[in-house]
Amino acid sequence: MVEALGDVLAGPLHPPSPEGIAALRAELDDAARAATVVGGWSQDEPLRLSKHLVTGLLRCPRRVLGEEQGTSDDVVVGWMVDAAAKLGTVSPRRAVTVDAAVAFLTALGDSTVTDHLADLGPEAARLKTDAAVRIDRLVASGLTVLDPAWWPRVEDPVRVALAAGAVTVAGRIDVLLGGAPTGRPVVIVEVKGGRWYDGMRGDGHLYALMVALRDGEAPASAVTIVTDGTTHVEPIRPALLQHAAERLDEAMGIAARLAAGEPPAMHPGAHCQHCPVRPDCPVGRAWRPGTADDAS
Amino acid sequence: MTVDDPVGTADRLRAGVAERIAGELAGAAVPVGDVYLGWGAALEAATCPARYRAQGAQGWAFPGWSPPLAAGACGRAALAHHMARADLAGRPATLPTPLDAIRAWMRSLRTQAEAGARAAPPVERSSVGDWIAETWAAGDSATLAAVAATAGRWLAGFIRVLGWPLPTQLTLLNAPGPVAVPAPSWRPDKASPVTVACGADGRIGKVTGAGGFVLVVHRVTTGGDGALRDRAAFEAAAGSLAIGVVPASVLVTAGDTGERVTAPVDHQLLALGANRIVAVVTQRAIAAERGFDPADATPSPACRRCDHLADCPPGQAWMAAAGRWRGGLPVIPPVRAGL
Repeated sequence: MVEALGDVLAGPLHPPSPEGIAALRAELDDAARAATVVGGWSQDEPLRLSKHLVTGLLRCPRRVLGEEQGTSDDVVVGWMVDAAAKLGTVSPRRAVTVDAAVAFLTALGDSTVTDHLADLGPEAARLKTDAAVRIDRLVASGLTVLDPAWWPRVEDPVRVALAAGAVTVAGRIDVLLGGAPTGRPVVIVEVKGGRWYDGMRGDGHLYALMVALRDGEAPASAVTIVTDGTTHVEPIRPALLQHAAERLDEAMGIAARLAAGEPPAMHPGAHCQHCPVRPDCPVGRAWRPGTADDAS
Repeated sequence: MTVDDPVGTADRLRAGVAERIAGELAGAAVPVGDVYLGWGAALEAATCPARYRAQGAQGWAFPGWSPPLAAGACGRAALAHHMARADLAGRPATLPTPLDAIRAWMRSLRTQAEAGARAAPPVERSSVGDWIAETWAAGDSATLAAVAATAGRWLAGFIRVLGWPLPTQLTLLNAPGPVAVPAPSWRPDKASPVTVACGADGRIGKVTGAGGFVLVVHRVTTGGDGALRDRAAFEAAAGSLAIGVVPASVLVTAGDTGERVTAPVDHQLLALGANRIVAVVTQRAIAAERGFDPADATPSPACRRCDHLADCPPGQAWMAAAGRWRGGLPVIPPVRAGL
């Protein structure tokens, strides 16, 4: 959808009524309790879900159970872009550059990007040039000219506890706008450093569900700003919240079976190309671009 | 059973905690340096004593301001400044926009720093305010932006969960300004190296001998903040020590979950909080003698981000264990690692 963030905020926003949110929580709570019986989690040793884990469990459980990997160049570029978006939101009058974004991250106590760039030496220039191009596109999205009355806040934390805390779903929304007590509807903004694909919508849907459960009020829109120039605007309808809840329910079920000892399923697809588990995964090794499973 | 003698109970708590702290300090093999004892230290000492002991002098004392640490302090100061300006103008405070309120407070600090005593309206001096003024003078815009991000998040969450207008009779604590009061802290005696700092963000109601007031503790996130009852217990005890009167309850709010939970303060809660406080001094005394000792480590997912993992065999063993769990799911180590 070709629409800038400013157009979205200026237009009419009609969030769904809060009706049904309590029922949605009850359904998820039941699902989490059922999953907990199988998975064996407790309040002290809970299942901790994030947007990455929910997507990962649905996409390929084998990858989810792999070791955490070191920092890659792609990930670092993504972090620089992400930091630039947040810097532009809180300091709209500043020029948002790569160096400013990296300094912002360092000031927040995260030196991962600085360390990675230092390790790369002269090669770091290539990454910074790549990030600069993406940041320029991001600035054009309107994220850096928000009316303060929208209460823009970055990395807004949201956490939902289910089954008396035996399952938690937590995340940090890149930029959150509006909501109580501003008198304006809630708008979720997620920033993505790569190229648009339809699967990116899932993060906004999950966060819309979590904010609805936290605040008792559903967001009006989830906006995904991608550095390939795409701004995807998604009005939040009750059906989308229901869909997000169903995905979460399914992810909890998969997690429960894995925790109970079931071998992880391996679902090949385009994600295999960058999967660090691929050397240990016969299905992933056999996968080639252009096959039927390429759509994921 | 609730506390029916708020002043006498606080007095007895002070005497008891002071005695226990003195005992721990006297039992230390070498003299103990400064100990800044807030909730962060209590949580560290309880979750992994080895990691707490490994922090060294910089970690045991007040670590100095940084954007993540200053989030609450700057958020409260900005809110206090916003309320004070309305007060000076003789009008009710309007709903602040978080980023504007923080910028307005920062600008006032800079104006005051440049104009000295001639600045009007004056901004109350504070440690965090001095740090911001110095940061501004140094031209460190990255740090100022980071403060705007963290403090803006704090301020938005605080108001969202407490509601606007803020509760009547709310006094901001740990914030400068005419509508706020300084950090409630307590030392067992003037010569003690121990400072117990209450991290409450606000107080609802006046402090009187009858108690009855409520401490407000706002948590931006709950995931790494320990159990709610532990936090309430620590702040109830620290607040009682600092104020000299036991609060009726502690209202614990959370930005990430939207929770508002009231924990009534009774003798059991105070005892739990006092134990948490003394436990920090116990670990600090052991640290003076033995320093970092991985034998007392409590491996957990926190090992993943621990600065001392390289020197901690229990943590390394936990990280390397086949079949270990990450967030409730098993972890499959790479096949190649075992070859």
